Amino acid sequence: MNFIKRAGLNVWAKKGRSLLLILVSAAILMFVLAGLLIRSAAVKATNQAKADVGATLTLSANRQAAFKKMNQSSSSTTKRSRPKLTLTPVKLSDATKIAKLSHVGSYNVTSSTSVNAKSYDTVSTSTGMGSSGGGPGGMKSAASSGDTQINGVSATSLTSDFSNQQSKIVKGRGITSTDRNTNHVVIEKELASQNDLSVGDTLTVKETSGSKDTVKLKVVGIYRASSSSSSSAGPMSTDPSNTMYTSYTLANTVKGSKYANTADSVTFNVTAPSQVSSVKKSGKALINTSKYTLSTDDASYQMVKSSMASVESFANKIVWLVAIAGTIILALIVILMIRERRFEIGVLLSLGEARWKIVAQFLTEMIMVLVVALVIAGAGGKLVGNQLGAQLTKQTAQTTQVTQTQSGGQNGGQPGGQSAGGHGGPGSRTQSTQQAKLAITVSAVDLAELGGFGLAIMFLSIMLASGGILRLQPKKVLIE
Amino acid sequence: MLKTKDLGYWYQTANEPLFKNVNLEFETGQSYAILGHSGTGKTTFLSLIAGLDQPKAGEITLDDRSLKQIGLTAYRRHHVAIVFQAYNLFTYMSPLNNLMTAMAITNASHAGDTDYARQILRNLGIGEDQMTRNVQRLSGGQQQRVAIARTMACDAQLVVADEPTGNLDEDNTRAVIAQFQKIAHDQHKCVIIVTHEPDVAAQCDHQFRLENKQFKALDPA
Repeated sequence: MNFIKRAGLNVWAKKGRSLLLILVSAAILMFVLAGLLIRSAAVKATNQAKADVGATLTLSANRQAAFKKMNQSSSSTTKRSRPKLTLTPVKLSDATKIAKLSHVGSYNVTSSTSVNAKSYDTVSTSTGMGSSGGGPGGMKSAASSGDTQINGVSATSLTSDFSNQQSKIVKGRGITSTDRNTNHVVIEKELASQNDLSVGDTLTVKETSGSKDTVKLKVVGIYRASSSSSSSAGPMSTDPSNTMYTSYTLANTVKGSKYANTADSVTFNVTAPSQVSSVKKSGKALINTSKYTLSTDDASYQMVKSSMASVESFANKIVWLVAIAGTIILALIVILMIRERRFEIGVLLSLGEARWKIVAQFLTEMIMVLVVALVIAGAGGKLVGNQLGAQLTKQTAQTTQVTQTQSGGQNGGQPGGQSAGGHGGPGSRTQSTQQAKLAITVSAVDLAELGGFGLAIMFLSIMLASGGILRLQPKKVLIE
Repeated sequence: MLKTKDLGYWYQTANEPLFKNVNLEFETGQSYAILGHSGTGKTTFLSLIAGLDQPKAGEITLDDRSLKQIGLTAYRRHHVAIVFQAYNLFTYMSPLNNLMTAMAITNASHAGDTDYARQILRNLGIGEDQMTRNVQRLSGGQQQRVAIARTMACDAQLVVADEPTGNLDEDNTRAVIAQFQKIAHDQHKCVIIVTHEPDVAAQCDHQFRLENKQFKALDPA
């Protein structure tokens, strides 16, 4: 083990050279660590996203089947009549059956419709396209649309807008299961202030279809919607402030008697995210899949996953590029160092030292350097990783948003109007606001992985540089 | 102890051998000088008996075992100690560490014994304060004495030296040769010195001159 002592003496005696090697190694390792940290943070974020958003199942009308049916009927009809899209509302009895399955926790019933304001003025949007019925597809659905959006829910707290903090109750309370079969309503702050409405007041709305009856609503809460709230998404929507939350039973009443005990969609929270697939399979067995669909709500997960996959792939490239470049740089430095030490190698060989022990001495010296460089890289890598990670997620988020905007524009061309989901009910997607953040922390595992990388880099460098040692003839060095 | 049998050596690029059919015997307790002009092949001869290279013809035996049998690395580790003109010490170490390292590598009987190493250095005139400072801060004469001390610290029975006084002044030359004589006579080792200086050679027990590819024994002075 004399080579370890020699290595220590050499590193200590040649402080300047050792310091230079430490700095070069630390710089290389810092970038490797930054890459490793971003990669592991991206994996963690993806897993977290899976756990957070992959645990819901949504029971809704099977739009695909409905479109297919509509197309078939339009092609088989001889008369040139406008095809009609018929979506079957979800039966609450089906939802109750699914809710009884194991691993299913709470569930939220959603039923949306629209009404016209009677006792108040709606908030007008200057850029709005009005409240005329029918979407860009030009197809009118069964119900015509009003100027006020009614989102019927089981409980506001279960809706994505409220759980994501995009909407917040600022006065009174939200809708709960106790509001079932009542005329309680939660209105938006701006609508409330414009009409001087407060908790406890009543307002009157007029149905848009059927007998066009007048319905009295009692304000139990006021909420504030964020400007980016998706609940009013879509070019045909009214101002977000004209959205009210009620119990789904009230929404059904407004829609008409045939909508009793139905819903646009029902979202089930699965208590064990890993069981989503099996719950979905069991749930499908309980429903008529030609009319209904049971889907995993993984849009947010897919978005985060794709965003993180790009970050992870970039991080992987950083790790490998830096590792390869680092190996080359260190190998060149070590080769130069070893050339400088030919006489020392010659003396060691003349004393009968084994060649592998000479290589081991150089490797030990590099490991000593590596230990110090690891400490420096550990401290600096988090900093570099944070900066790099923030920049990467920012860029990825921008790219994703641009992609979403483009795909959103394409979706606008689909047949619209007031569908089962209405103007974008509480169950609508809110992934644009779910920005994946990289939680960059340096763990012992990261440092161990970095140490492994460092060791591999050092080993490869020494092996590349040691070819000369293994071939070196002491006579050539010492005598010739 | 050490014998050469029909030893010959030539370089691939040269037409003529440096030397051939060399038959010499070296004994323990004696010092030998090999004289010769530059380029005659005396250093090459030293590299062969030091186990740094292999002969092209003939063989070298140590106690009737050929160096091939012993293995050159094992031979260098256990049987021979070399002193170079340029000292060839470990420049990042102190004299003491140079000795300790050599003892450790060669598995000397006193390996790890700091007191033993200190005693050898002291006997060669290296002071206590000089023992622990970097060897590069010592004079040429002192460095050569450290190199000699290194051979003494190891158990090798054969000590070969290549122009050991080449970089030294007269006083240091005398002191170094006296040390080699002590190693031969007191430690009962075989010392072979390659030199081009007749005065240095004259102080050894036996002298050989390499001339016209042959070694000629010279009469003792």
